[in-house]
Amino acid sequence: MNAMQGLLDGFQIAFSLEGIMFVLIGVAAGTLIGMLPGLGPITAIAIMIPMLYGMDPTLAMVLMAGVYYGAVFGGSTASILLNAPGISGTVATAFDGYPMAQQGKAGQALAIAAISSFTGGTVSIVLLMLFAPALASVAVSFGPVEYFALMFMGLAAISSLSEGSTMKALISGVLGLMAVTVGIDAQTGTPRFTFGNANLLEGIDFLVVALGLFAIAEVAFLIKNRNDDSLAKTQNIGSLKLTKKDFKEMRGPLIRHSPLGFIMGVLPGAGATVSSFISYITEKRFAKKPDEFGKGSIKGLVAPETSNNAATSGAFVPLLSLGIPGSGTTAVMLGALLVLGINPGPLLFQDHPDVFWGVVASMYVGNLFLLVLNLPLIPYIAKILKIPRPLLISLVVMFCIIGVYSISFNVFDLYLLLIFGVIGYLFRIYSFPAPPFILAFVLGGMMEQSLRQALTISNGDFIIFLESPIAIGLFAVSILSFAFPFFKNRRVKKAR
Amino acid sequence: MRKLIFLSLLVIVMIVAAACGDGEQASDEEEGEFTPEESIEIVAPAGAGGGWDTTARSAAQVFDEEGIIDQDIGVVNKEGGGGSVAWSYINSQEGSPYNLFVSSPPLIFVPLNGQTELTYEDFTPIANVIADYAAFAVKEDAKWDNLNELFDDMKEDPSSITVVGASSPGSMDHMQFVKIAKEAGVDVTKIKYVSNQEGGALTDLLNGSVDVYSTGVAETVEQVKADKIKVLGVTSPERLEGDVLETFPTAKEQGIDATFVNWRGFFGPPDMDESAISYYEEKFKELSDSEAFADIRSKYGWSEQFIGHKEYKEFLAEQTEELTSLMEELGLAE
Repeated sequence: MNAMQGLLDGFQIAFSLEGIMFVLIGVAAGTLIGMLPGLGPITAIAIMIPMLYGMDPTLAMVLMAGVYYGAVFGGSTASILLNAPGISGTVATAFDGYPMAQQGKAGQALAIAAISSFTGGTVSIVLLMLFAPALASVAVSFGPVEYFALMFMGLAAISSLSEGSTMKALISGVLGLMAVTVGIDAQTGTPRFTFGNANLLEGIDFLVVALGLFAIAEVAFLIKNRNDDSLAKTQNIGSLKLTKKDFKEMRGPLIRHSPLGFIMGVLPGAGATVSSFISYITEKRFAKKPDEFGKGSIKGLVAPETSNNAATSGAFVPLLSLGIPGSGTTAVMLGALLVLGINPGPLLFQDHPDVFWGVVASMYVGNLFLLVLNLPLIPYIAKILKIPRPLLISLVVMFCIIGVYSISFNVFDLYLLLIFGVIGYLFRIYSFPAPPFILAFVLGGMMEQSLRQALTISNGDFIIFLESPIAIGLFAVSILSFAFPFFKNRRVKKAR
Repeated sequence: MRKLIFLSLLVIVMIVAAACGDGEQASDEEEGEFTPEESIEIVAPAGAGGGWDTTARSAAQVFDEEGIIDQDIGVVNKEGGGGSVAWSYINSQEGSPYNLFVSSPPLIFVPLNGQTELTYEDFTPIANVIADYAAFAVKEDAKWDNLNELFDDMKEDPSSITVVGASSPGSMDHMQFVKIAKEAGVDVTKIKYVSNQEGGALTDLLNGSVDVYSTGVAETVEQVKADKIKVLGVTSPERLEGDVLETFPTAKEQGIDATFVNWRGFFGPPDMDESAISYYEEKFKELSDSEAFADIRSKYGWSEQFIGHKEYKEFLAEQTEELTSLMEELGLAE
């Protein structure tokens, strides 16, 4: 069966009454789950599995996929409006999305996020459709050496996340690296910095850190400045309309980060969270006006929002073409496929082409649904900001607590949330930037583990890092990204 | 007047009947019958989607759909400390017949690693239901065709071979390999093991970063079918049943007299009442014998292994003893 025929069959499934219904239920549920801070697609899909028993496998996958990309789509809303990331993939969205909302441009920010999500999602589905079997080899091309190089590239740009003092950005990054070492060390099985507390053995959950540093800290800040009149305009939603200039601004990052996010999604272990951060920092690194980033830059919003949605489709490549789950969510889907009587593996594409093409076709439909569902709702969703501030603040705190509790059902995590809230608040008061902390937390853990895996394999020989062309390429980009700002400064000076 | 006497007699009869009814129920309990009167909680001591979670949810589902237990059964994920957060919670529910949890070899590994004070003896083992076995896989084009060839190379130059698994040293994927390798005469303190917890262990094998993948049998089936990897040996006592599974040679038939079972069963809090234990034991037996659960087992590639309450205790004691000496040799036990 050729691809065209496969896709047509896929659309037949996606456009059947059940198909449309399941796509719609999936994306609607996903959007809602994504919007609520903490509650993510992993939990939602795992709870769905027993209900899927006996269902048609293609339809079940269509439904689960819908929840997954719907959640990534919807996750941006809470990031933009409340600085409370809906899911881990939309933490970077808050960097510029929330400042935009504060400037009274909430409607615009939500519209940009929706369009970016849609573009990232749709472009990556085309890539998925055209290249999935061929990309299978890309998915396995990354071993510990390459992952180390990738994470290194990400961390190399940490200083670019500073707003002002580079030193403060580095301190914040180092604190993030320290926080991620808490827990049982995977390579030795030894607990590190757990102080004998069993609750810390599995480390600190990323969302607890993100919600604490951003949402709780912001709430504390708002309470402190409650009488500040300059905050009044944040209640404005602003117009939804985007100007020609806005679209021109969006074009570059949309084109760049759709394929970049997709490739990152294809790599097992990277996924939407890592890709959104890498996209954000590369966009900032190579931007003409990096100063605008973190203060409501359109480019800074488009880059992570395009990337995380593109990565979501990318994550289906290793799952459907190799049977390798690249992320927590796809791992749960793999388990679900087993329940449905389908053995996910390298032969899935051959044995069950209907599952593959049905999912691909449904994702086109699903992304369109998401755009159509979300755009008209923006004015209503953005009205959240009209809620009187004391009430809104209480609601944000409540949702953060529910969200964090739903991750582990462990009260200890709520104390951690509070602690990170205090850290985030102190950061704001003493103007330490929080993004380097969260970036180091995301990339640092994997960087350390892959470094040590690589060195164990090579018996301690560092030459292993120079034996991989991919790694050399990534190191070269890291060096370039160090040097780039200096060159640019010189060019600017010369021009003057 | 007559009417009144009749009525009062009727009332007396009713009261007596009611009292007798009560009495019957009371005597039932004395004889040791237990029926749950509240909803039952099964804790999966890890996040949604893992092995414990899957086992707990599928058991709860079969209990409900087959009408084995009439009460509502809720599966609760309590994550943290490799299970120990949930274990301390259950441990505090002393005597409660409504709080169960699902467990497997980490209940032995985690205490041995010194990460919790609690051991299986602090709980009431009810019944084991599933056995899962380990498989050791290499790339399809690797130079080894059986475990002995691999282990011979490992004896010669342990630094040239890297083993990958998803869990950290001193836990399942590591220890299952160590147990078999030790029996084959490999110096287990020199085994190079890396842990990849981001789901990249299989990828590391496929791209040649590592040489051997220590995992569960089910994870290997599809890759073997597609000729991507080959399984050198599995840790079951006899050959497994199933399409591809039956082609996997056991370590035993290759002359290495060792097995490793990833058992999975259900436990209750300490000091559970005898009547409640036998109630659940019977229900789990029914579950294990049901066709619906057999279906789930075959889908996940699990084997049937029912062990009742008393034998389960002995089984756990044996397992603990074996693993303790192995981990002491590696310097991992505390």
